[in-house]
Amino acid sequence: MRVSYEWLKSMVDVPEDPQDLVREFVRTGTEVEAVERVGADITNVVTSQVVEKVPHPDSDHMFVCKMDVGMRNVDENGNPVPVQVVCGAQNFEKGDKTVTALVGATLPGDVKIKKGKLRGVESYGMNCSSRELGMDSDHSGIMILPADTPVGLDFIEWKGMSDTVIDCEITPNRPDCLSMCGMAVEVSAMLDEDTHMDLPSIQNESADFGRTADLVDVKIDDPELCGRYTARVVRNVKIGPSPEWLARRVIAAGARPINNVVDVTNYVMFLTGQPLHAFDLGKLAERDGKRHIVVRAAKDGERLTTLDEQERELTSDMVVITDDGNAPVALAGVMGGLNSDIDEDTVDVLLESAVFDSGHVSRASRNLDLMSEASIRFERQVDGEKCALVSDIAAALFEQCCGAQVCEGMVDEYPAPVAAPQIELRPDRVRTLCGAPIETGFMARRLERLGCTVMRGADEHSAMQVVAPTNRPDLTREIDLVEEVLRLWGEGDVEPTLPAARNHAGGLTVEQQRLRKIGRVLRSSGLSETSTYNFADPRDLEMLGMSEEGRGVPVKIMRPLVADQSEMRRDMIPGLLRSVAYNLDHGVSNVHLYEIGRVFFGSEHKSQPEEPSFVAGVMCGAWNDDQWNRKYPNLDFFDAKGIVENLLEALRITKVRFKVADPGKYGWLQPGRAAEVIAQGELLGWVGNIHPMSLKNFDIDVPVIAFELSVKALLRLAKRELPYEDVPTLPGVSIDLALVVGEDMSFEQVTQRIKSAGGKLLSDVQLFDVYRDPVRVGKGKKSMAFSLTYRAADHTLTSEEVDKAHNKLVTKVMKSTGGEVRS
Amino acid sequence: MAMSDDLNAIQEQVQKALADAHSLDDLEKIRVAALGKKGSLTAIMHMMGKVPPEERPAMGQLANTVRANVDSAIKKAKVELAKKAMDARISAEAADITLPGRRLTPGTEHLINSIREEIEDIFAGMGYTVEDGPYVETTYYNFTALNAPEDHPSRSAKDTFYVVDNAPEGKESHVLGESDVLLRTQTSGVQVHVMEEKKPPIYMICPGTVFRPDTADANHLPQFTQVEGLVVDEGITFGDLKGTLDYFCREIFGKDRATRYRPHFFPFTEPSCEVDVSCGVCHGKGCRFCKNTGWLEILGCGMVDPNVFKYVGIDPEKYSGFAFGIGVERVAALRYDLPDLRMLMTGDMRFLKQF
Repeated sequence: MRVSYEWLKSMVDVPEDPQDLVREFVRTGTEVEAVERVGADITNVVTSQVVEKVPHPDSDHMFVCKMDVGMRNVDENGNPVPVQVVCGAQNFEKGDKTVTALVGATLPGDVKIKKGKLRGVESYGMNCSSRELGMDSDHSGIMILPADTPVGLDFIEWKGMSDTVIDCEITPNRPDCLSMCGMAVEVSAMLDEDTHMDLPSIQNESADFGRTADLVDVKIDDPELCGRYTARVVRNVKIGPSPEWLARRVIAAGARPINNVVDVTNYVMFLTGQPLHAFDLGKLAERDGKRHIVVRAAKDGERLTTLDEQERELTSDMVVITDDGNAPVALAGVMGGLNSDIDEDTVDVLLESAVFDSGHVSRASRNLDLMSEASIRFERQVDGEKCALVSDIAAALFEQCCGAQVCEGMVDEYPAPVAAPQIELRPDRVRTLCGAPIETGFMARRLERLGCTVMRGADEHSAMQVVAPTNRPDLTREIDLVEEVLRLWGEGDVEPTLPAARNHAGGLTVEQQRLRKIGRVLRSSGLSETSTYNFADPRDLEMLGMSEEGRGVPVKIMRPLVADQSEMRRDMIPGLLRSVAYNLDHGVSNVHLYEIGRVFFGSEHKSQPEEPSFVAGVMCGAWNDDQWNRKYPNLDFFDAKGIVENLLEALRITKVRFKVADPGKYGWLQPGRAAEVIAQGELLGWVGNIHPMSLKNFDIDVPVIAFELSVKALLRLAKRELPYEDVPTLPGVSIDLALVVGEDMSFEQVTQRIKSAGGKLLSDVQLFDVYRDPVRVGKGKKSMAFSLTYRAADHTLTSEEVDKAHNKLVTKVMKSTGGEVRS
Repeated sequence: MAMSDDLNAIQEQVQKALADAHSLDDLEKIRVAALGKKGSLTAIMHMMGKVPPEERPAMGQLANTVRANVDSAIKKAKVELAKKAMDARISAEAADITLPGRRLTPGTEHLINSIREEIEDIFAGMGYTVEDGPYVETTYYNFTALNAPEDHPSRSAKDTFYVVDNAPEGKESHVLGESDVLLRTQTSGVQVHVMEEKKPPIYMICPGTVFRPDTADANHLPQFTQVEGLVVDEGITFGDLKGTLDYFCREIFGKDRATRYRPHFFPFTEPSCEVDVSCGVCHGKGCRFCKNTGWLEILGCGMVDPNVFKYVGIDPEKYSGFAFGIGVERVAALRYDLPDLRMLMTGDMRFLKQF
């Protein structure tokens, strides 16, 4: 809402400096978006006189003029010199006073005046029409000022056009503030000052011009759609530009002056908050000498070309105004129809001042993507009680500004009168809830300033009965009044306290702490946390080579911002791969990222999806660039596996197995470099190299290793602690064993066999080398070197005991693995 | 006195040899040559029996003195040599300590998450629980139960991502582009879930991801992070709201920061306000950072609207409460003066590693 300070000043006493009012606005809850100086965009425009006017030598319609601009143009001795201006206007004579924009001037719309040549004649400025100065729509010629106007004055200052517009953001609960009257009331409550509104009244309403009731009838199909409809006829309007004061206020409010009839309807809307619509009476269908306004629901597929010249297809949820129930002439509450608009030939006007249901208007506006000053107001609710009064104000202005004859009376269909509820306000309740010593008298006085009727109780503590004004639909309950009182009293002045809480405890749950631990372990393992979009490209899974199985159906966004974010992700890896690609594209080759986030598995038969959380990591390159004292090998499968192992160990998850991932099931992983992660028989997720084919789809040409684990499973299997084991006090004996086995024997299998063959004395098995050599080890074979530690808990082992145990182990292992000991 | 000459000669010899010794090996040789089984001094000691008895005490004493001298000289030389060797090693090991250290480089926490945890910890410290809710929410929890009227403009598809409802159950016809299921636009819906499940007193926050159809640019992201807070208890006042948020603001921005409460409107709170914190750059004087206002807007809050209590069956006459919502990206942007929020979503290692 753009509030003209000059206009406001005429309705309520305000401080001299607009900034003082701005501070009060902010303090009491009206957000100020901008404070504009009107006329500030017009500079170097001065009053002038035509001292010479000769026809342009090379044009039959332009003139070369000498303009006296007083001291605004002087020679080196400081004497005024007229300025030469080439002018195409036809409406002036030598000696006329007018307005000249000098070289360097700026005009509304960011127009800059420069020295120019018009058909070979130099011009040092421009004589202005009132439209060029943003004053109204008149562009029929240059402005002619009164003969006694002094020359060389700043036009804006001389004209008193300077004003301040405070652009206020009005919250949706305050339709009253979308009007100057409402704003004046708000300011009066804010400052505790009186208002002095002087609304125009009709001078000559007469049956001589006809009776509205004889000319129009109104039928409302459904009071749900339209709570009140008033119609009034004014005749013999003279369409033309609006008077300057009117145009100026309409401009200050943010509209463009069009003609006097339209401007009056806009002006009255800005003044009262009641949107009005003017129909050209002559364009409405006539039957039995009457126009028959019917307000009804639109029909599906019905069409209407609105004033913005767009043809709209309507639905049955929208409301239309029709003449005699036929084709629509207006989309109720949103915009008029082109077929009944006011134009230069309009003679008689039918003025609509009505209230339409906010829901229907809101939906119509959203569905047609058509927002108007009217729809903004109807959406937030318009005061039905004031329709007739507002119609009178507009009729008075038609009389005053358009020369209209006001027919007697109006047609007023008001099927559902609104009544403001009576609200009980307990002053003690206000003080308790606010925690502030607000005086009862303050409450009553400020509510009255807001237009409420207040009946005080017997004393400071007894409840008062309050009836809010009908233009405040937000005031229906006690709490609504509490808010009014508190914001006017000052939220800033309430003393801060802390709740005197009893009987509650808080803090993070075990799961929340463990979730944080997952992050900590991954970070200490070298991964950095990232955040990616929960949106997905519908092709993501296919590009990755991941089957949809077990991932439900996609959750589809109805109006996505971009096509590649049109559904919710069903896996986190595509987003993370995009982050890898981003890094590679920006010259960062060592990437180690993890994310803890949700994926979305929709169901065909449910409104809401499952939203399981996963922790996923991706890595490529090395841990670091080589340093002066350390080299970093490229990361591979075992780096990622090591991180997963770290994580599971930190969460005290036991019985962990890494099982070869079936390439048929894990299409996005490189076969032979892919593992399922299993603990206590439960599948936690996977770790592996992303398949080179998948990487290609994400424009990545380096190996990427990744993992993805179910957070739910991790948290379920995690334990607070594992049983304590004694730290060995007795020395152990280490013996190395190099075992040559077939390639088909896995480390897991060999270790298992060693452990089962080792008996009680074998306390540790460490693999320290894997060696292949077709000659020394043999083709299809590998040598695995283990360090075995023997130890007894209760005594120091003798060499005989160790030898015996080791020999037994070697024999058993050779048998069970089919391997040989390499000497 | 041949024996005494011999003894003195040995002592001299040893001292001379020690002067030339350069290693522990040299010392050992010297020791063996003098004191070993076949050593010169040992040999003399063996001959002591042949010394006439009257000379024997004096000679014995001399021999012992020489032996002690030799022994201590060797030990002293050993210490010196060890020191020399250590000095040599130390000087050999001297390094250019300005060379970079050898580091294990741990990863970093995402800026937004680390601020989110900071916020969680502040409120956990005040006894709040941390709650959670679905991202794909129903209009009931995101709007209706939060007292947003059915046709309220905030529900428009311009401000909300609606998703296809796979089980619409023949509900009323909707505005184009809207359904009953959406990506939550605020974490406030979690309030309702919690109030349905728990009885007061309730002291909770809900940090989480929310979505709005704002095209990603320097100042907007279609996906961002909010922390919602809710307190419901007997006798909660607007002053309690202020005290709590003042404490929070000082914890998160610094003890020297002031707050400002501006009345505002939210459907689910009344009275409502927006909270500004004084600008940390200019300390309230006005600068580019705060757009010359001296204040930075950081959160919205208010007293829980009685209608919200009615939706979840809490008696508004017995209980009162307050709620607030904090934008985590906003806190991050203010703290670091981030030029472009999109950096938060790219996964750029150079960005992530800074926090």
